[in-house]
Amino acid sequence: MDAYFYIILVVGLLSSIICVAAGILKKAPNDTTILSVAAVELALLVYLVGSIVRVASGERIAGESWEFWGYLATALILPIGAVYWSILERTRWSNFVLAAVGVTALVMAARMNQIWY
Amino acid sequence: MEEAENVNAKSSQDGTANPAGSTSEIAGSTGAAPAPTNTRNTGPGRLLIAVYAVFAISATARAGYQIVTKFSEAPLAYLLSAFAALVYVVATVSLAKPGRTAFKVSVAAVLVELVGVLVVGALSVFDAVNFPHETVWSLFGRGYGFIPLLLPILGLIWLYRRRPAASA
Repeated sequence: MDAYFYIILVVGLLSSIICVAAGILKKAPNDTTILSVAAVELALLVYLVGSIVRVASGERIAGESWEFWGYLATALILPIGAVYWSILERTRWSNFVLAAVGVTALVMAARMNQIWY
Repeated sequence: MEEAENVNAKSSQDGTANPAGSTSEIAGSTGAAPAPTNTRNTGPGRLLIAVYAVFAISATARAGYQIVTKFSEAPLAYLLSAFAALVYVVATVSLAKPGRTAFKVSVAAVLVELVGVLVVGALSVFDAVNFPHETVWSLFGRGYGFIPLLLPILGLIWLYRRRPAASA
């Protein structure tokens, strides 16, 4: 597991906790929860840029490279989809949808790390 | 009880605090009482659909990957993977769509999913020789935090609570 994974681990867990807490407190998605999901997206973008730099500088992905990029691309779409979905219906349940992003990103980052090494 | 509160809270919110409400069909269905088009894709239903969507995407991708790269290793397991992916896709779409037909389709899909996870889960435990290759449903979905086992149960509860009225 590398630094990218740990960044997403921390940011993803934090985002999920914030969103679940907001959902339990019966709040609709607000700046805090949406920004926490945006932070997950940012962490994934850092992973993307970092990975491009590493590949460009000659590092090799141990597993299937297209599988790695597939995971990364899908992970990058998830936060956008979830935020869009939560804006369409602003209820507390949308916060639970947002909470799913952090955990999912975390699982996908773990898998991406496995593929890389 | 909790859902009822939530729906009330939401419809009042749609009326006052949601400027984008006019663009979504959800606002229309809750705001206009005489036309109860779809109550399945609001509130907790949205979370359910979101989780189903994640499983539909991941199961489809995984099955596609398995079939493309190593189908000959275990055709049965990978076909099962593809079937599971299909069930998740059907469940996601039918849960999100309004109407009675979609309701029936989603009940069927969720039931198939429940049977699938129970049968495949049991087979992978008792007949590990013939089911050594992973699918979403192996070991009752242990590789996915047992969510595949929980999801159809929650899905059936949700569908039962939001079933269409007996006579329309």
